[in-house]
Amino acid sequence: MPSRNDLQQYYETEAQLAPTIHQHQDWPYEISHRRFQAYMAPPHDVGGEADAPVRYEEKEEELWELNTYVTCEVLGWRGIWNAEERRRRGNNDLGLSLYYGFPYYGRWIWAAARMLVDKNHISLTELLEKVAEVRARHGKH
Amino acid sequence: MENTKATGVPARFNVGDRVRVKELPNLFYTRTQMFVRGVSGTIAERTYEDLIPEDDAWNRDSAQPEQFYIVRFRQKDLWEDYPFEGDTLQSEFPDRWLEPISD
Repeated sequence: MPSRNDLQQYYETEAQLAPTIHQHQDWPYEISHRRFQAYMAPPHDVGGEADAPVRYEEKEEELWELNTYVTCEVLGWRGIWNAEERRRRGNNDLGLSLYYGFPYYGRWIWAAARMLVDKNHISLTELLEKVAEVRARHGKH
Repeated sequence: MENTKATGVPARFNVGDRVRVKELPNLFYTRTQMFVRGVSGTIAERTYEDLIPEDDAWNRDSAQPEQFYIVRFRQKDLWEDYPFEGDTLQSEFPDRWLEPISD
């Protein structure tokens, strides 16, 4: 069981990920069409959005990122999914907060795991048990 | 995956044709950027034939492949305040996202 303090921190961190439109949203009765369009925007269609200048960084891929790339490609070769659009759609299904909030290859591996569960290649509890097993092996609770 | 299907939807456009990007709503997924919808451009290149992203993303492998095109837009047509007259931007679309225009 997580400590109550951990649990509280989890809820507080989760609450901070709500879309930052700074208006309380709790399944309202009606929304404007403009708001609906914004909600329906695929997260990867970022062209045209206002943004601050970003510092350009050269960064080499880390091992987990390369492993993620290879895993997604192999799933494609094996015909489990098509590695481009299906994976890309899976990335978009993260929703805005997670799409922006995850590392690039974090989106990929999330989409791959979701697809494997969606298509009944693995069950959700199998995945949860495996994640817990790996975390325990690495000494994390 | 290798696309083993025969020829799909007949290609409607050639290099140099004027086209307008359709104004369809967004639901779930697309590769067509919002900022090009309803904007006119010129076919710069016919690229390849493939499933459209909206079908490919849901593994609709029996759907008909379509011709893809690179369309060239004037930046000034895309962004009202764009400062340079001659600049262009290219993006890629399948046949059904384009409609013919004559001007």
